[in-house]
Amino acid sequence: KLNIGVDAVQHGVEGLTYLLTESSKLMISDIDFQDSIHVLGFSDELNKLLLQLYLDNRKEIRNILGELAPKLPSYHSLEWRLDVQLASRSLRQQIKPAVTIKLHLNQNEHQTAQVLQTDPSTLLHLIQQLEQALGEMKTNHCRRIVRNMK
Amino acid sequence: MELSAYAQGGWRLLGDPRRFPRRPYAALLRAAFRSLLDQPHAALDDPDLKDIDPTVLKHCHAAAATCILEAGKQKADISAISACLEDCKLDKERIEQFCTEYQKNKDALEILLGSIGRSPLHITDVSWRLEYQIKSNQLHKTYQPSYLVSLNVENSDSGSHPDVSFSCTMEQLQDLVGKLKDAAKSLERATQM
Repeated sequence: KLNIGVDAVQHGVEGLTYLLTESSKLMISDIDFQDSIHVLGFSDELNKLLLQLYLDNRKEIRNILGELAPKLPSYHSLEWRLDVQLASRSLRQQIKPAVTIKLHLNQNEHQTAQVLQTDPSTLLHLIQQLEQALGEMKTNHCRRIVRNMK
Repeated sequence: MELSAYAQGGWRLLGDPRRFPRRPYAALLRAAFRSLLDQPHAALDDPDLKDIDPTVLKHCHAAAATCILEAGKQKADISAISACLEDCKLDKERIEQFCTEYQKNKDALEILLGSIGRSPLHITDVSWRLEYQIKSNQLHKTYQPSYLVSLNVENSDSGSHPDVSFSCTMEQLQDLVGKLKDAAKSLERATQM
């Protein structure tokens, strides 16, 4: 339909892909983008079209590029259940409370679920530790770093 | 509370003052409890036991251990234990000695028996790391905080197990903590019922 050779189409696609991914990766501004493509000597209309193409697709391209970085399994969700153990083969007449947790993680596109258990005092300890972790981002130290890194 | 014929046979020997005078009897009781609770291998080297025939010693030790474990498992009270030992023809004094020793070690025994058995991986602790991502080779200027959470877990059989680690964003960690707090609240309500 385009009436051009296969090679030309392939080079065109590759060129466009490179342009868009590199620009998205570096998150360059509109001005820098325009300056960069200026050397190609295209018409103003085409340059405007390319800029719009970049801005429209940047977010999605960045999301995809983000997936390529080295990663650990990531948190998906968590289910919990309260249990009380009443007896076992080695001991009768027990009252042993436990919290059973199903932790759903995402690893490389598939989800894993792991069943874990803990006792009430460890549960409170976990909550305390993780609340401290959440609080860290609000400290002056972290705020200063975030401000200065932009 | 019932003991096997073998165990009863051992107790009958333990009740016999000719086979087991007072000192060796007390020593054997101590040894039986020690071997179950803290020193699985040492136990029978007590000097008071050196005059007892080794086969008899083994039989009696097994009988004592069986009785201790059975009583612990059933959470038997003193009367049940006494009745059982009376059937083995033990005199009152020896029964009382056993019950005293049993009372002393009851709690440790209960903990030991309660810890035997299968259960899912048990969480013992958590460590976390907060990082601020700046860039990767695929993507620059990411500027995002990220948490790495590591749950220390223990296996009921072998004791150790590699940590369960995962990364999460701040929102995800808030979700996680929120759910754990719900569980804790439910637990508190349940204990008040």
